[in-house]
Amino acid sequence: MHWLINRLGRAILTIVGTVSLSFVMIRLIPGGPLDYLRGQIRNQNPGMSSDAIDALVEAQAAINPDQSIVEQYVSYMSSVFQGDLGTSTWYGDPVNQILIEALPWTLFVMALSLLFTFAIGIGLGAVMAYKEGSRFDYTFSSVSIFFNSIPYYVLGVLFLFVLSYQMDLFPTGGRSSDAVPVGFSVAFLLDALYHAALPVLSFVLTRFGFQALAMRGNSINVLGENYLRAAKIRGLPGRRIAFQYVGRNAVLPLYTTLMISIGTMFGGAVILEEIFAYPGIGYYMFQAIDARDYPLMMGAFIIITTAIVAAILFADLTYGLIDPRASGGETRETY
Amino acid sequence: MDADSPFRAYEVERRTRRQRWAYKWDLYVASPLRVVWSDWRTRVGVLIVVFYLLMGTVGVVLVPPPETNQGALHTQPFQTMAHPLGTDGLGQDMISLIVHATPPMLEMMLSGGVFATGVATVLGTLAGYRAGRIDSVLTTVMDMATAIPGLPLAIVVATILQPESPWVVGIVLTINVWAGLGRSIRSQVLTLRESDYVEASRTMRIRTPNIIARDIVPNIMPYITINFVNAGRIVIFSSVALYFLGVLPFTNTHWGVTMNRAYRNSGALYSLGASYTLLIPMIAIIVLSLGLVLLSQGADRIFNPRVRARRSKTISDSEDPGTGGAR
Amino acid sequence: MSPGKDVVLDVEGARVQFEMDRGVARVLDDVDLSVSREEIFGIVGESGSGKSMLAASMLDAVEDPGVLSGSITYYPSPDEPVDILELSAEELRQLRWEEIAMVFQGALDSFNPTLRIGQHFQETLSAHNVDRQSGMERARELLSDLYLEPEQVLASHPHELSGGMRQRALIALALLLEPEVLVMDEPTGALDLLMQRSILSLIKKLQRKYNLTIVFISHDLPLVANLADRIGVMYAFDLVEVGTAEDVVEGARHPYTRALLKAVPNLETPYAEMQPIAGRAPDPVSVPKGCSYAERCPLADDQCLDVHPPYDDLTDEHRVACYYPEEAPAAIPLPFEDQSVERPDDPPEAAGAAPGKEGSR
Ligand SMILES: Nc1ncnc2c1ncn2[C@@H]1O[C@H](COP(=O)(O)OP(=O)(O)OP(=O)(O)O)[C@@H](O)[C@H]1O
Ligand code: SF4
Ligand SMILES: [Mg+2]
Repeated sequence: MHWLINRLGRAILTIVGTVSLSFVMIRLIPGGPLDYLRGQIRNQNPGMSSDAIDALVEAQAAINPDQSIVEQYVSYMSSVFQGDLGTSTWYGDPVNQILIEALPWTLFVMALSLLFTFAIGIGLGAVMAYKEGSRFDYTFSSVSIFFNSIPYYVLGVLFLFVLSYQMDLFPTGGRSSDAVPVGFSVAFLLDALYHAALPVLSFVLTRFGFQALAMRGNSINVLGENYLRAAKIRGLPGRRIAFQYVGRNAVLPLYTTLMISIGTMFGGAVILEEIFAYPGIGYYMFQAIDARDYPLMMGAFIIITTAIVAAILFADLTYGLIDPRASGGETRETY
Repeated sequence: MDADSPFRAYEVERRTRRQRWAYKWDLYVASPLRVVWSDWRTRVGVLIVVFYLLMGTVGVVLVPPPETNQGALHTQPFQTMAHPLGTDGLGQDMISLIVHATPPMLEMMLSGGVFATGVATVLGTLAGYRAGRIDSVLTTVMDMATAIPGLPLAIVVATILQPESPWVVGIVLTINVWAGLGRSIRSQVLTLRESDYVEASRTMRIRTPNIIARDIVPNIMPYITINFVNAGRIVIFSSVALYFLGVLPFTNTHWGVTMNRAYRNSGALYSLGASYTLLIPMIAIIVLSLGLVLLSQGADRIFNPRVRARRSKTISDSEDPGTGGAR
Repeated sequence: MSPGKDVVLDVEGARVQFEMDRGVARVLDDVDLSVSREEIFGIVGESGSGKSMLAASMLDAVEDPGVLSGSITYYPSPDEPVDILELSAEELRQLRWEEIAMVFQGALDSFNPTLRIGQHFQETLSAHNVDRQSGMERARELLSDLYLEPEQVLASHPHELSGGMRQRALIALALLLEPEVLVMDEPTGALDLLMQRSILSLIKKLQRKYNLTIVFISHDLPLVANLADRIGVMYAFDLVEVGTAEDVVEGARHPYTRALLKAVPNLETPYAEMQPIAGRAPDPVSVPKGCSYAERCPLADDQCLDVHPPYDDLTDEHRVACYYPEEAPAAIPLPFEDQSVERPDDPPEAAGAAPGKEGSR
């Protein structure tokens, strides 16, 4: 119980930290967003007095000039935690409205990528371990290492070039076709999958090898464990040994990797969405950067962090279900 | 355990300084290198990394820097000896572009690697060795920082700071790599702290900084080295991405910028004819990254015998947990 | 072998080889041994002498890439030999645990950390098609025999039990299918002294209650001497002396056995305080052609170096692989034989380290 509160507290603290960080970056860094805005207004209105410019800047950035920096911080924090991320200067819409609409699409791509990465990685790694030293093991270890060294977005650009532009097999952007009405229909789902295919593929192909090698190493360790030898001599059926003994014990350490993967993949989504013009959170983050739309940029950053913190928290809380040793929680060394 | 160290002292006394150096050389340099060399994958990794190092040092002297209209625009590769890999849409020689982008890339990797592993080692060792309040504060901070996604954070910081120096870029790109690394160094230090010989050193009242320097750091050094390489790889991945997408301020000499130009200006995506301007920097990136992966995996195999093949043939490798464990 | 005895397990010419880069390692070198029904047979020897290999051979469970040859015969009843190395995979699977069970060295991690103890019992029952209800009944009885709280232990995960509890639970698991023979490889290795002794008395008790044949393996000669009816002493991958516990402890005739005994000032001294015997055991890749102990033996002569000594049967029960069993007692006197309680001289290495030890204090 104590552990649970601890975990929750830590998650909340992380989000508070992130939001504070974004406040600092927007308000306090010289040459940051406010100076940029000031410069822009000056360029557009050469004759304006600097007081007038300041007033305009404050109005645009929703800053109350009568407040001290601490008060500003408090009001920023409280509005963020009430779900108000400000207004996008580029789109003119509330930031949270834009991002809430985009979030499910990012989650969709992420979930598919994680699912396939881990499914392929675990399956392949287990087989490689069983056939350790064989030609199969050797080939797929090398393949895994090779794909692991390609940056996901480089593969993404290659796919875009070959499969979309040159061969016209996949869309060059977007997340669904205009022709297919949005809704819970098979046609829509297939269309969404079709649009998500290349981003997902770029992730999966460049990351499965890492998981496979990790799974391979874990399985080899488990294969050398006493309990495995004991299970064989007790005459347990092969299936039970494969799943309850090798599989379960080798997958456990991957849970930590999964948590880390959630973070790195989310980060990667930002770049892939931009490359595939796939309007998820990352895509809007880039739009915001191009347009110097700081509220939207920081909003996207906050949403991404929150999603990751939530995912890690979830993974952390459910870990006890698969590893009995973690039910007390305190002793576990993960992250 | 108490008897171990006097024995060690006695041994050292008998050796001459020269023998000691020879021994150290063999232990820390020669024999790891032998192991590295014995595995062809690691060997390839070393060769690749050395090649890029040469490219970044000697190469920049031999190859003229890229300039606009160095040659005809869009010279295809393998057409003229003057520009073996062709020229881009501005007539810059592709080889010049690739070679002269290497030093800033290496600088970024170095600064990112030093920053990430340095901060991680200091914080991780401190937290692990000191335990108590310092530990719980540092651990919480590291856990929090780990949860913040590195790349988006780097993007935000890069957008706001617009760093130009490769050294600063390296640090920005590894802005929270130290956190996760520090966390795992802490766990390792924690385990080492409980080990017999550190215990022995403590009972002999050796001062803490000495214990850390003598018993702890050498033991986590392999791990730090591997992660130094990994941090370098993170810098490659992120820097290329951010230059490619125009988040980092323009510089002429970066593979990401070359890709960006191919992508945006030369229309490399649409026309097969211009695709080489995109492919050549991509290959430069993939090969270096492959070299680093091979290197760090090889290092992992050396330092981490657990991962070493279960059925390996030498007898020293056969210490299975069954026979090695008891007494 | 010894006719007329009720032999339950007969090992003949058991050999285990590993192919390695350096050559072929023979880590079990033509071992002959027969275990009688309902006896406790102790095997002692220093680390690396091949004890675990011999134990694994008895269940044809030598791990890859080790190759076992020779013959291992199990007699469920005196005139019903079962050649273990000839069994089909399925027959072998049934034989293991139902007829011959084993407690491994490093028993503390013999349980799957993700399963409850009870699940280990249940899966074993169903793998051998034993009725779940009566099987778990027996499990509970065994656990209480071992002074464990059955319900609590069965519901626990391995990490929730202490080392001693886990060890006892493992013994209960080994006896679940009512095996004839129980092979225990270093079952007390990781336990403290008190725990070791109490497990020993439990083993004796179980042996009587369930009429078990036990092969008990240990480094610890005094421990084995207290427990076993007969003892085999292993050196360099083969048995060098076999006899009743009395023969081996009080009438030891092999120079190695005597050196082992000499290393222990009295039989109650725990292993940890034993002084090592000077010299090193041979490398399994190049075992000397003569007596494998010759390099360390004070009695060694040319014959010893040239020709491997055959067994000398001193009595029906007592055999020694040595040319000079009669000379050994005089050459290697034992402190307790002449009633002196002096500690033996420090072996050379220990003496060499001593100055350094004093200096640092
Ligand atoms: N997989 C293997 N490959 C090659 N040699 C092996 C392997 N496993 C064990 N050996 C060797 O076999 C010999 C006998 O090992 P064994 O485990 O039977 O010794 P032991 O007497 O049980 O020792 P301990 O008391 O330490 O358990 C040792 O010399 C060991 O080095
Ligand atoms: S045979 Fe010779 S060398 Fe071997 S133990 Fe006997 S006396 Fe010693
Ligand atoms: Mg053993």
